[in-house]
Amino acid sequence: MSLKRVVITGIGVVSPFGNGVPALMKGIEEGRSAVQFMEGWDQYNGLQSLVAAPVEMQGEMRIPRQKRRSMGRMSIFAAQAADEALGDAGITLADENLWRVGCVIGSTMGSAKSINDVFETMLPDRDLSKLNSTMFFQCMSHTATVNVAQYLGLTGTVMAASAACASALHAIGAGYDMIRLGRQDILLCGGAEELHPTVTGSFDILFATSTKYNDNPQKTPRPFDRDRDGLVCGEGSGILVLEEYERAVKRNAKIYAEITGFSTTASGVHVSQSNKESMITCIQQALGDSGVTASDVDYINAHATATIQGDQEEAEAIREIFGADVPVSCLKGYIGHTLGAAGSIELAATLKMMETGIIYPTLNLENVSEDCEGIQHVMHPLKKPIKTILKNGFAFGGINAALVCRKI
Amino acid sequence: MTEQEVIDKTNKVFEESFEIEKERLVPEANIFVDLGLDSLDIVDLIVALQSSFGVKIRNEEKVRDIRTLQDLYQFISSIKNDDGVKNG
Repeated sequence: MSLKRVVITGIGVVSPFGNGVPALMKGIEEGRSAVQFMEGWDQYNGLQSLVAAPVEMQGEMRIPRQKRRSMGRMSIFAAQAADEALGDAGITLADENLWRVGCVIGSTMGSAKSINDVFETMLPDRDLSKLNSTMFFQCMSHTATVNVAQYLGLTGTVMAASAACASALHAIGAGYDMIRLGRQDILLCGGAEELHPTVTGSFDILFATSTKYNDNPQKTPRPFDRDRDGLVCGEGSGILVLEEYERAVKRNAKIYAEITGFSTTASGVHVSQSNKESMITCIQQALGDSGVTASDVDYINAHATATIQGDQEEAEAIREIFGADVPVSCLKGYIGHTLGAAGSIELAATLKMMETGIIYPTLNLENVSEDCEGIQHVMHPLKKPIKTILKNGFAFGGINAALVCRKI
Repeated sequence: MTEQEVIDKTNKVFEESFEIEKERLVPEANIFVDLGLDSLDIVDLIVALQSSFGVKIRNEEKVRDIRTLQDLYQFISSIKNDDGVKNG
């Protein structure tokens, strides 16, 4: 059985810069930071990191009430991003065999705010009678994918990927395999996540968040930088339309890139720490899957959350495979770490960079940290034709993911 | 609580929780057919009414017979009056 080819024909994003891919790219082009001081977060006893990159939700009332009632913030982001992606792809669902159209959307968890609201409503009296029906649907871990499916009327594969910061890449990888095997023709793939003090709190407890820039929020996170001090949470959603190549060509679709390789590995050692060896294996497998070598890669979009250990491990892994031959940048300085959505929002921006031939720099990288040296850091916009890219994603559980895409 | 207060408070739940315009909230409106509520909405309607009126109605048998807004107004009035009687 020969495998089908898979291409990306549409992208949609809700990011801390606003709704839509143009808003995201404008923020990046202008070198802006969407990170801000979060009012009211200091009410959480012990929360050290008081900065984040929130989305200003807009247009949600356009979603009909009975579709919207089961959506927490992150599902609204996902539905809006999915709408944009489908429009971008020029796909009209009414014209499709919907048994062959589905979605694979990942997230770390269900809607954080809704989960918080459930417990605040129920406790301390353990009173279930005040909980309404739709809160469960907002809280369940596959909330984003289910809500997008019911919003759009998709009846193909509806699946969720749950791998924390690698969720979106896992979703894209799973979608890639499904289309390759001929199980589906079109899959909306990506991730979604929403912000809440408790989400930042979970990283805060582990000393993984940025705490030194509360009075200067736009100076953090600082991926690969000497003065980096941890991650900054963001929120949003990125959805990509993955489509079987022959039918995309037949309908004259715009093709951003072909997905040519995907790999995911794990460290098998620690629930939170990254591990260079497993990252290296992951990247090498994705390259091998893709039939390319390190020298074929034109740009690496790094994961780089600005944690001390994570950035160091990733830089070492990149250095070992690519040396300083391939430009590397990371977008988290602009929009924070959007967690379950990171892989897809950042991949969407990378595809736009491929389109324009401009690699945007790592914001807040002012002095490369000694432990991140030896790779080609992009610190100013770089004009370069980009044919093949590598997108990295690394997550709690020591989970690694790597995706290779090529312009065709 | 007067009849009009029951009507106003009930209608407020429909406007706020279900985004239904005031003009559609007429006594003869069928909650399902005319106002478009479904089974999930009914669960939430009960929760919202319990919160708004400070009563427990979820386990009342008569809840299942409610079809129109008028039915609902009468049901809530009778629950509130029963409460009033219980509390002397």
